[in-house]
Amino acid sequence: MTNTIIQFNNVTKQYDNDPVVLDNVSFEIERGKFYTLLGPSGCGKTTILRLIAGFTEATSGEIYFDDKKINDIPANKRQVNTVFQDYALFPHLNVFENVAFGLRIKKMKNKEVEAKVKEALSFVNLLGYEQREIRDMSGGQRQRVAIARAIVNEPEVILLDEPLSALDLKLRYQMQGELRDLQRRLGITFIFVTHDQEEALAMSDEIFVLNKGKIQQSGTPIDIYDEPINRFVADFIGESNIVKGTMIEDFLVEFGGKRFECVDQGMNPNEPIEIVIRPEDLEITSFDSGMLKIEVTSQLFRGVHYEITGIDHDGNEWLVHSTKKAKVGDKIGLHFNPEAIHVMRFNETEEDFDRRLESYSEGEADGE
Amino acid sequence: MSRKSSPFANLFLFIIFFVLYAPIFYLIFYSFNSGGTMSGFEGFTLDWYKELFSDTRLLIIVLNTVVIALLSALISTIIGVFGAIGIREMKRKRNQNSILGLNNVLIVSPDVIIGASFLILFTMAGIQLGFYSVLLSHIAFSIPIVVLMVLPKLMEMSPSLIDAAHDLGASRWNVLTKVILPYITPGIFAGFFMALTYSLDDFAVTFFVTGNGFSTLSVEIYSLARQGISLNINALSALIFLVTVVLVIVYYYISRRAGNQGMGGMRR
Ligand SMILES: Nc1ncnc2c1ncn2[C@@H]1O[C@H](COP(=O)(O)OP(=O)(O)O)[C@@H](O)[C@H]1O
Ligand SMILES: [Mg+2]
Repeated sequence: MTNTIIQFNNVTKQYDNDPVVLDNVSFEIERGKFYTLLGPSGCGKTTILRLIAGFTEATSGEIYFDDKKINDIPANKRQVNTVFQDYALFPHLNVFENVAFGLRIKKMKNKEVEAKVKEALSFVNLLGYEQREIRDMSGGQRQRVAIARAIVNEPEVILLDEPLSALDLKLRYQMQGELRDLQRRLGITFIFVTHDQEEALAMSDEIFVLNKGKIQQSGTPIDIYDEPINRFVADFIGESNIVKGTMIEDFLVEFGGKRFECVDQGMNPNEPIEIVIRPEDLEITSFDSGMLKIEVTSQLFRGVHYEITGIDHDGNEWLVHSTKKAKVGDKIGLHFNPEAIHVMRFNETEEDFDRRLESYSEGEADGE
Repeated sequence: MSRKSSPFANLFLFIIFFVLYAPIFYLIFYSFNSGGTMSGFEGFTLDWYKELFSDTRLLIIVLNTVVIALLSALISTIIGVFGAIGIREMKRKRNQNSILGLNNVLIVSPDVIIGASFLILFTMAGIQLGFYSVLLSHIAFSIPIVVLMVLPKLMEMSPSLIDAAHDLGASRWNVLTKVILPYITPGIFAGFFMALTYSLDDFAVTFFVTGNGFSTLSVEIYSLARQGISLNINALSALIFLVTVVLVIVYYYISRRAGNQGMGGMRR
């Protein structure tokens, strides 16, 4: 038994003559991990889930489950269960019967059904709600019923399509923690869809960032946050300062009219690139000692920090998160470490990008 | 609900309902008249009702009418429900709309034309006019009504419910019996009762396709009324009115119960 449970091989999906929804997508999902598909609305996240669940067929490419091709296996024969965006609870059945639906289909004995439903409901803290009608449940409770209905069938993979998007903020945070905890306790694979980058970063073992039917980047939350592959990912995951620049040579980059030491290498000399600096990596110093000099154009108090924006003399806008205050119109300096600069090449493929990043760590090892 | 309706609005409503119901109550009132005409009330009697119940021919006609109504409502409900499911599953919106258009044309087209065309059809096809021709035509004109009552419920159903059922292992048959049919039950009842009432009070279509020796109530009343006024008709009308009221009450309770049970769940 390999560790891979789901595999997509060059899967393309197209409806009629519309533009392709999924463009030659390939990836692997391993057992027992929490995966997140992250991307803006309409990028094809739901379509991927529907392909895995079997509600729709791939136009081309293969989908494997447990090393078996499942393109032609109907949804009711697949060992995955889905938690739908609108929960899709059956309004004519009460909580118990909703959760029991899958077991009843399997013609399981009444006693067993009862035991399993109770267990599933206790997993989601809903014991005692068995006889409630769905319409008498709140949004968060319906959410739990939908999760219980999926886990009671003991699938190997659970698919969750933006399950938290209809909940208010506080409940959402609570459910994020509960879902993550549930996944650890069950030890099965979760594939979770969201367009909320914070949610993705908080919950996942692995994130796939999607845009326009293509996987832009995959990796752990930290990899993706610290080392975005391109402008889209950098912009989508968290706030960032993205500025055009030139890679003068290895470890030396030029932007904002100045040259800076950095940790990136392996690019052509004088190659045009873009650099990313996260707002929290910028430190406010005096105007004279600043590596970058900006004039403050606005300041917002965000509770934990101030969000300060300013413009340098090249016209680049800089966003700074700082606990220090500034005043609009102030001229301030910004300080940052070489590690804070992350260099992105234009149109780099994910393989090339990974290879380049790997070579850095080898380089470090050599240097020691 | 805090707004009070003005006394004028109430008066207006009262007058409207009075005008609508007066003839019916007038008829019913005189069904108890021992005088034998509708011109003067002489004394209370149940003779007309006794006469009605001793008239076996009329009783058979009543039975015919009820059998036709129940059978045609039942069969058209079954066909109509599957038709509506078929329309919903159609891939292309255009085809869906054209079928719906055809459906609605059948509902609004005059009974006389439907009756005449059925007459021509049955004559050409060599089907004897009688019970079956009436049954067939009633089924035919009830199907579009059932479709019209069931389709909105189907359309309101989120497609993810069906996906969810498949996801939990349900076969197509399971999906139909455990999800779709329970969900649209109120629509099915509404369709059945509509078909029932349409069949019960249909005159024009039946008039065309009924043959010698077979008759339904509406056709019979028509011919009785042509022969001359007898208070039999009043008694009969009174009974039919009573049955209609009972049907309406039953329908009201069923739809209220269904409304309370299943569908409320979709409201947030
Ligand atoms: N049944 C369908 N027919 C035609 N286009 C569809 C259908 N389902 C989805 N699409 C299109 O596929 C694209 C991706 O949809 P989806 O996977 O639902 O996006 P996401 O879940 O990321 O918001 C959208 O542009 C959408 O319009
Ligand atoms: Mg979606």
